[in-house]
Amino acid sequence: MARRRSVTRRAGGGRKIPPGVMLAIVLVAGGLVLVGVQAGRNGGFGQTVQQAGDGAAGAAGAAATQPARAGEGFFARLGGMWTAHSRVEELERENQELQAWRELAERLAERNARYEALLRMPVDAFGEGADVESSIAAQLVLDSGGPFTRTLVANAGADHGVRVGYIAVNENGLIGRVVSVGARSARILMLDDYNSRIPVMGEASRVRAVLAGQATRPPDLYTSPFQMQSPRLDFIVGAQSLREGERVVTSGDGGLYPRGIPVGVARASGDGQWRVALAASQRPIDFVRILPYVGIERPETALVEDDGPPLNSVSSVDVVGREVTQAAPTAPTPAPPVVRPRPAVTAAASPPAQPVQRAPEPEPQPETPAPQPAEPQE
Amino acid sequence: MALRAPSRGVLRAWGLALAIASVILPALPLGPLFAQPPLPLAVLWAAYGWAAEDETGWRAPLALAMLGLLHDQLAGGPYGLFAVIYLSAYLVGRVAAQVMSAPNLVSLWGGFIVTALLTVGIAYFVAPLGLGRNVSVGPYAEAALITAILFPIVRPLYMGASGSVRAGVRR
Repeated sequence: MARRRSVTRRAGGGRKIPPGVMLAIVLVAGGLVLVGVQAGRNGGFGQTVQQAGDGAAGAAGAAATQPARAGEGFFARLGGMWTAHSRVEELERENQELQAWRELAERLAERNARYEALLRMPVDAFGEGADVESSIAAQLVLDSGGPFTRTLVANAGADHGVRVGYIAVNENGLIGRVVSVGARSARILMLDDYNSRIPVMGEASRVRAVLAGQATRPPDLYTSPFQMQSPRLDFIVGAQSLREGERVVTSGDGGLYPRGIPVGVARASGDGQWRVALAASQRPIDFVRILPYVGIERPETALVEDDGPPLNSVSSVDVVGREVTQAAPTAPTPAPPVVRPRPAVTAAASPPAQPVQRAPEPEPQPETPAPQPAEPQE
Repeated sequence: MALRAPSRGVLRAWGLALAIASVILPALPLGPLFAQPPLPLAVLWAAYGWAAEDETGWRAPLALAMLGLLHDQLAGGPYGLFAVIYLSAYLVGRVAAQVMSAPNLVSLWGGFIVTALLTVGIAYFVAPLGLGRNVSVGPYAEAALITAILFPIVRPLYMGASGSVRAGVRR
């Protein structure tokens, strides 16, 4: 007490500054000097020290916060245990939804692949003369599957432009022909139906035949699971030239099918007959392209633009002669400019021959103005 | 707790569902396993069984005609072909029910085989009328044969087990 009083007294009397205040003042002054020294400078000892200090502080901070973070995770897990059951249920529900989406995606991918395969069909797969640009893609929705007929129903009909007689193909080959059309569906008679008869030919040998559907026995589930009994080749012209494994295409005879659509492969059966393993039945038929095709009309029904005189009114000789000879004009017509060759001269003794445009000779004036003569080209 | 045997009505309902399925399934693009053949003609079972049990009712022939027309529509064939076949099986079944005084499983099976064969004969004459002379009844005969082989398995769906019911009806 006496000492404190004495210090105070000395401060008040001799103005003696306490040591703490003195230190503070020194430090403030030193700080000011330090600031004044660093002002306007990059780098230097101060910055190095600052960076080193930051590094050390960071390491220390990381070491210090690690236990805190571990504790935070622990408490989060501890709190999550209270909601684990509901979260598992939510995840299972979400997983089921994802499974459904996955199945949908796989189906769409498969359908997309089938569409792409259809769109990549080469042009020659449609045969000659088929209107490929107007083809209609459709999906098969019904399969007769009955014991009597072999037909398919596609989901495109008159509203989509399908007509009776159009041709159904897929990426493998010919399927059949549209035999009935509804507003939104069309029934396709398959090649292996017993009522199907189409003219075909060997692609290499050009052997002509008629492909006759059989469908008298169920499909062989191991060798040809998607077709009934293979259609038979009837009325073969030059059967000795037909080869085993030769590609069979439509011949176009009869005008119902374009020429050149792949039908299948020729196979010699044990009973001495030729059959065709249908190309379109190599796999299940699900999508088809329906091609408009207008074949050759029968002469009896075809429209004639220039019917001319009846054949029995004049002799055929007269008709032919009138086609090749011009009838004598009733009124004089201007003669066309005639180019007459000059007398024959040798190419070496004369300059290059120039066509001479001859003035029209005076002729009787026609009723119509005469055409102006062509100007000589320079 | 012992399981109760299903009632007759339940069995008949299942039989009707099976008959409808045998008409619809071949028309769906499900592959060769669901074609006909090898899928049996379940409507023949129904026709034979309903003929034995529903002797005075009008529902059985009407239902068979409707199923036949539905089959014709789906198969793309002429309307009436399958209706004729199924109704003829119904009529043959009626005759068989009158002939058999004390039917058992073997006699019922034999009666069904005869019925199926007769429908093959009817199809042989009727199918060319609507589908042309090139038509073959071979696949139908195979389907009818498969149907006949499977008859004992599905018989409870279409007809009673013993002749007592038939005798009772006949009274």
